[in-house]
Amino acid sequence: MRPVTRPTAEARARMRALAERTLSAAEWKSALAIPLLEAEREEALSLVRWFRRRYPTPLERLAYARRAYRRWRAAMPHEEKS
Amino acid sequence: MQGTEFDEADFFRAIAESGARALLIGRRALIVLGIPVLTADYDFWIHIDDAGRLNAAVERFGLAPTHSPEQARARGRYVLENDERVDVLVARSVPTVDGVRVAFDDLWERRQQLPGVPGASLFVPGLDDLILTKRFGGRPKDLEDIRLLEALRAEGGE
Repeated sequence: MRPVTRPTAEARARMRALAERTLSAAEWKSALAIPLLEAEREEALSLVRWFRRRYPTPLERLAYARRAYRRWRAAMPHEEKS
Repeated sequence: MQGTEFDEADFFRAIAESGARALLIGRRALIVLGIPVLTADYDFWIHIDDAGRLNAAVERFGLAPTHSPEQARARGRYVLENDERVDVLVARSVPTVDGVRVAFDDLWERRQQLPGVPGASLFVPGLDDLILTKRFGGRPKDLEDIRLLEALRAEGGE
């Protein structure tokens, strides 16, 4: 098995730019036209049901999100933390 | 104030007590509705006349505005920041990427109040309106959020 290699800083910057770009009106329209599949809907709702059960109030949910963000940030390479 | 020590209940109470008409939008609105997504900042859409009130309310948290209320009104948005970052939209209306004009007053009229923050009123747009606000940015991650919100809407919201 080959070891996992981290993408270069340049590759990561390209991925970030792709994720943050504004789609054209045509791209947006065609993406919105893709229907929500039953499996996708059920997967999303399963996640929501778990989250609401585990964290019943808005404040608990926000506190969880802050912890999750801190964990994610701690795992990110230095240049992506700004 | 350090970000890790930020007291969210107190923060929302301060906003509620200020009388500022403020809607929590963006990914933190998804989170309070029960969708676990990752985000760094808060996004609020406030009434165009309420930037001064909001700024005064959050001053004790060390949050400083990047622009005066007058400048913010002219630009349509500003940021409150220290270790935390609060993006504030301050416009009467905003167009979506596909050309729908969304008015703050309409969303405020249809807002939902979330329970669970003692002593505070936490307002978010209705689900349909929150989906509309996700169409402001037009980014791939906004599309992902819309699909999650649509799944929630199909379930009947909260």
